[in-house]
Amino acid sequence: MRLSFRSILIVLLVAIAPFALHAQSGTAQSGTAPAAGRIVGRVIDAATGQGITDVAIQIVGTTTGGMSGLEGRFTLSGVTAGTVTLQARRIGFAPKTVTGIFVEPGKTVEQNISLAQAAAQLSAQMVTAAAERGSVSEALDAQRTATGVVSAVTAEQIAKSPDGDAAQAVKRVSGVTVQDGKYVFVRGLGERYTTSSLNGARVPSPEPEKRVVPLDMFPAGLLQSITTSKTFTPDLQGDFSGALVDIKTKEFPARRSFSIQAGSGYAAGATGSQVTSATATGGEELAMVNHGRDLPTIIRNLGSFKNINLNQGDMNILVGSLRNSWTPTVRTAAPLMNGSASIGGNDPVLFGHRLGYLFSGSITSGTDTKDDQIRALADRGTTRGTTVEMDRFSGRAVSQSVLWGGLANLSTMIGNGSRVSFNGLYNRQADNDARVENGAFTADAVNVRISRMQYVQRSIYSGQLAGEHQIGTLQKIEWYATASGVRRYEPDRSEFVQVLEKDTPTGPVVPRWLSGGSGGAVRTFSDLTENSHEYSAKYSLDLGSAARFGSIKLGYLARTTARDAQSLSYSIAANPSLTTNAIRELPPEQLFDGRFTTASSKLFTFGPLSQGGSYIARDQIRAGFLMAEVPLSRSVRLIGGARYENDDLEVDAFSTLGSPVLTHKVWNDVLPSLALTMQLSNTQQLRLSASRTLARPEYRELSPIISRDVINGENLRGDETLERTNVTNADVRWELYPSSGEVLSIALFGKQFTNPIERVYGSGSGGTSFVFYTNAKSADNFGIEVELRKDLDGWFGKAFAPFSVFSNVTVMQSQIHLYPNTQASATNLSRRMVGQAPYVINSGVSYTSGNGKTSATLLFNRVGERITAAGGTPLPDVIEQPRNVMDFSLRLALSSNVTLRTDAKNLLDSPYEVIQGTVTRESYRTGRTVQAGLQWRP
Amino acid sequence: MHFTRRALAMSAVLLAALTSACSKDSTTAPSAPAPIVGVAVVAKSISSIQISFTSIAGDVSYDIERAEGTTGGTFAAVTNVPAPATAGAVTYTDASLKTNTTYRYRVFTNKNSLKSVASGEATTATLAFGNAAATITADIAASRTLFADTAYTISGFIHVGNGATLTIQPGTVIKGDYAVLGSTLMIMKGAKIQAVGTADAPIVFTSSRAAGSRQPGDWGGLILVGNGVNNRSGSVAVEGTGTDGATVVTGKNYTVVYNGGTIATDNSGTLAYVRVEFGGYAPLQDQEFNSFTFCAIGSGTRGSYLESLDGLDDSYEFFGGAIDLDHVIAFETADDVLDMSEGYSGRVQFAIGISTNQLTPRTGAGFYSVDLEGIENDGCNGTGCDLGHSSTPYTIPMIANFTLIGCGLQSCMGASGGHGMMLRRGTGGYYVNGVIARWSADGVSLRDTTTYVRGGSTTTPSTSADLQLRNILFAEVGPAGTPTLFQANTATPSTQFALDPTANSLTLSTATAASLFVLIPAVGTVPTTLSSFDFTPSTGSPIATGGLSTFTGSMLTKAGTFVTATTYRGAVDPAGAKWWAGWTNYARN
Repeated sequence: MRLSFRSILIVLLVAIAPFALHAQSGTAQSGTAPAAGRIVGRVIDAATGQGITDVAIQIVGTTTGGMSGLEGRFTLSGVTAGTVTLQARRIGFAPKTVTGIFVEPGKTVEQNISLAQAAAQLSAQMVTAAAERGSVSEALDAQRTATGVVSAVTAEQIAKSPDGDAAQAVKRVSGVTVQDGKYVFVRGLGERYTTSSLNGARVPSPEPEKRVVPLDMFPAGLLQSITTSKTFTPDLQGDFSGALVDIKTKEFPARRSFSIQAGSGYAAGATGSQVTSATATGGEELAMVNHGRDLPTIIRNLGSFKNINLNQGDMNILVGSLRNSWTPTVRTAAPLMNGSASIGGNDPVLFGHRLGYLFSGSITSGTDTKDDQIRALADRGTTRGTTVEMDRFSGRAVSQSVLWGGLANLSTMIGNGSRVSFNGLYNRQADNDARVENGAFTADAVNVRISRMQYVQRSIYSGQLAGEHQIGTLQKIEWYATASGVRRYEPDRSEFVQVLEKDTPTGPVVPRWLSGGSGGAVRTFSDLTENSHEYSAKYSLDLGSAARFGSIKLGYLARTTARDAQSLSYSIAANPSLTTNAIRELPPEQLFDGRFTTASSKLFTFGPLSQGGSYIARDQIRAGFLMAEVPLSRSVRLIGGARYENDDLEVDAFSTLGSPVLTHKVWNDVLPSLALTMQLSNTQQLRLSASRTLARPEYRELSPIISRDVINGENLRGDETLERTNVTNADVRWELYPSSGEVLSIALFGKQFTNPIERVYGSGSGGTSFVFYTNAKSADNFGIEVELRKDLDGWFGKAFAPFSVFSNVTVMQSQIHLYPNTQASATNLSRRMVGQAPYVINSGVSYTSGNGKTSATLLFNRVGERITAAGGTPLPDVIEQPRNVMDFSLRLALSSNVTLRTDAKNLLDSPYEVIQGTVTRESYRTGRTVQAGLQWRP
Repeated sequence: MHFTRRALAMSAVLLAALTSACSKDSTTAPSAPAPIVGVAVVAKSISSIQISFTSIAGDVSYDIERAEGTTGGTFAAVTNVPAPATAGAVTYTDASLKTNTTYRYRVFTNKNSLKSVASGEATTATLAFGNAAATITADIAASRTLFADTAYTISGFIHVGNGATLTIQPGTVIKGDYAVLGSTLMIMKGAKIQAVGTADAPIVFTSSRAAGSRQPGDWGGLILVGNGVNNRSGSVAVEGTGTDGATVVTGKNYTVVYNGGTIATDNSGTLAYVRVEFGGYAPLQDQEFNSFTFCAIGSGTRGSYLESLDGLDDSYEFFGGAIDLDHVIAFETADDVLDMSEGYSGRVQFAIGISTNQLTPRTGAGFYSVDLEGIENDGCNGTGCDLGHSSTPYTIPMIANFTLIGCGLQSCMGASGGHGMMLRRGTGGYYVNGVIARWSADGVSLRDTTTYVRGGSTTTPSTSADLQLRNILFAEVGPAGTPTLFQANTATPSTQFALDPTANSLTLSTATAASLFVLIPAVGTVPTTLSSFDFTPSTGSPIATGGLSTFTGSMLTKAGTFVTATTYRGAVDPAGAKWWAGWTNYARN
């Protein structure tokens, strides 16, 4: 079946309608007395953030009460409506009284409680309910209580920012830079050193030459938090050195709620104006393209073309089978649109058994432009190190994008000690790009126009069944089984090149098809899928007293990943002896309309460009870990352990000459880690940590064949002798938490890499080149990170109470040392690591009115100049220039359940610029955007 | 709670809808089946030919038909073969055929009681009574002789290793295996090739396909790698090598690095009366092999009486080194006749290049060139050119007595081609006593200030400059009606004495190219026999005289005893022997 946008909307509405219709009447049937409500929540240890079981919770002045269970969760039913006071008590902890909890009849109120260990705080505490809540504090708590160094962005923070997807949200984290709006670099280390997981399980990658995950595939509306772990602990997967970015999808809310949000926006330079636009076959606007772009069966049947020699009749048939679409059309750009809906709750649906649920969906679409787009290459000057511009092109790229997705999360408690949950997620994204540029090939002294259309569709699914079981008060088992998969589908990319010729020196410029060579008319079809199954089980045992808490954890993980990457390219040329200027002047849609593919035509030659280059990879990882958290004194804790990983990896590729090439690698590693956490005072903490981690080569890098890189068009060679990189990490971090929601932290980090993998250039005769990967000798990376979050009333008085400021700054340096006299000597031997920026700055100011109805946030981001590619000698490295980005967002509650959201992005519209020596390799502007929308939350 | 259950059910519907949205539709309309594409035929014996193709799933059967001859004849049914249940290879051997006879085959597809249109026609000839055969599939590590009574097939990438000498007897035929993509013979650093044929018994490297169905790119070519000098630093690989990785595996296309040598007089052997035909396979896009590739080949190596026929890239390409060649000819070169770069400093005397059109390459081997030139010389280009175009040693060859005849039409030359001589990126060189004819863009394109205002190229007196053009006749150069000696938008050569047309006898002739020679084919005709060519100056032709008969200055130093000064221009002495006759070939397929 085919789905239209409308039918999806109808399905969504039908799915949501029952909730809406019954939202009012549902309360009467909830099974509790009409005059009573419910309180749910968690009790956590203020020092460690761990849930505390067996805490007695009681409504003061009543007999209503209960005990906390797994993860400190509790539920109090039958609470008399009205304002109540709650008291939490447990041996070893200071009792706490929370006042002012307002319970509505038939409704549920959420109230989390933190308890301080009695040794640290002897007197009983009394706080108001409002003070005990707050999501920003939750993020900071996660940061404070984690064993390693982590930073988190929560749903609440995302909601206050203009960020539309996970990639935009994560760039607010200290030390994080985001490249191309997709790929995360942490502390200046390349994407190779950052791994991504979804609800704890590894996300497969849809990129053909890499193993990274483009985080823009996750709509912000589906996220609960993005946690960035920067130090290794043995319970984490060993192949990260920069960071592990864990995306958690939203959990169910404590009480039934739903919300609908819709908005629209304006992109300067695009919305409403006439823009070049890629052609469509149907379905592109929903990232569900129809079969119009499929590789014609008659071509697919020919496979790799090995030993197939086409005669003229064959070639006419094959050229005629291609879709006749080569140049963009012009259309009015649609405005930016976004919408989302979610429903969730916690109701006794299973024969009175409570089930937590959340269903959520969102969609974003729009047209982006890259204006004033310039790209050029740098040639060597005649003095060593100088550069000369060559092959300069200028033009404009227009992209129509859509991103939609949904999630379904279900969770239930079995008894007081077990929880079983299911998380399902499905996202789809598409970009339909059109680019027309004029320029020159300097060495050949010809002026050309290149028209390119490219449609890329990505999808990701993940299904996870997870459980947690508290056995007694001391033991806990956690497990999950996850199946996930991604696909990157790029059907039918087209490139058409015209030479801009002048018949006389003063005559008019006439565009004529570049009918010879291999690049005049090219179609490319690529498809990549990666599927992964991951199973994990962890056991933990608490030791010692509540006051001197310790634990032992052990666990096992198995993951199998299978990847299939295919890419096929075809080119059409014309027989020179039959080619006239009249033919070459035809627009491509006339040239290929069938007039030259009749049985008797002899004009066209058709052939494959990239025989081979496809590969299949299978990767199996088995890992086990053992770690212990030991209290050395009341304020000093030691966390140590080790992880063992076994990786068995096979890459099966076809060379361009049609021969199969198999690479098989087995690696066994033991990764130790040791951390020390010192509670210097109630508000200060110091952490020290040291660990060993690794980074494995990407799949394509291990296959020794040379093939054309789908994305960049460069020749790419892998190397079956590549070794994994071993990394030694050291971190020191001092943290101050002056009050709830405030933090000051200073961290120092250093990393030493053995055998780091670097992307370098190899040279070929006649000026040809290829990219390949090599183990460099070593690299170092060290730096300092400062993070500050402060409410301004403390500094400037009460008038500034609504304001808070935050900033994180990372300053770092790296140095990589290559082996001399290898084939990699075509790059500079000693330099910063590729991707490394000397500094990253994130800052912002936020305003929240006293009644919480109005909030505004101004965000600023700047990344120092960083190497995007190492230069081939004697050229300097390719540098991306710093760029100031400022975003503003405003949230205004119009009534108790309607909120107005306004977001303005890229207010400064600084150009994106990449330079090499004195040559501007690439530059463009993306333009400012303004969006507004309404959220309804009844 | 019924409402929640309903909601769950509806959500399941939603998820199901999302999932099925990704599944594929399939509707089949009854229509004529697609014809088979890629029918291949190969002679199996003196009386049988094997027809093979890949079936399409769902087809019922195939009708095979045959006709005799390369054209004409009547197609008659041979057989009907059933289609395999799943798509796969279909082969049929047609026996009881005539010996050494050409046949054409075509295939019709039957499906749903409908018959397809005919497939494209495939042509081959049955074998003649003949030679013993041997196939070479492994690298040659020890010295070896190839004998004239055996037909050899080079199958794969055959590297003759350091210390080994490959001796080839006169009259030996070596075929590049069409079935093993890019099959190529490489003489590696420290190895030698002694391929000395005679005018009566030349040594022939050609395609393994039958005469009549050969195409440019059927196989790779002959590549010599030496310990000579070039001007790029680091580690530079021969373009097109390395597609099977960097690790040495016998018979595979591993990376071959050619630079870094220091022995200017290195000796890689001798080539005489050698033809390389139908080479030029491109293992990577735009990285075709040349017919003859000389990678840093030292001056101790010699080449005489060489022919490049129907190659897909350049006929003779030099990456550094100093090898001297004499009496070389190139017919239907798909790119440049002579391509020199990276510090090549050798000499070439008596060179003929003639093209009439661009032949259709083998499918997947590469495409038509967009920049045909007679001479394309570069100083340095790419990574490892530490001083850019000015990297040293400079490319300073000497090319004397050349007759370079283009195909005459810009459409045939490609969008950026058609320059008789392209000198750029810091090259120098001595170009003397030549004829440049039928180049549609211009006679000479001088590019980059690094070429024409470089210290060495502007030295005075001009007889000591390292860039000199002397005594060259240009005919039919430039667009129709606009004879153009130098490309207008680059250098202003008249300000520089070494390039001054008048002072250096650079003649933009009004004579037609055809009138200069005894016989060359008219533009647009595609001759295939020796009798269509006689490159001797015609009676009274301006090229019979006008040569620079005395060398002086740096040109004399460069010429040494290898290049002799002549009173005529072009590759053939009006009173001399027709040196190309007897051992060359002009076949087109």
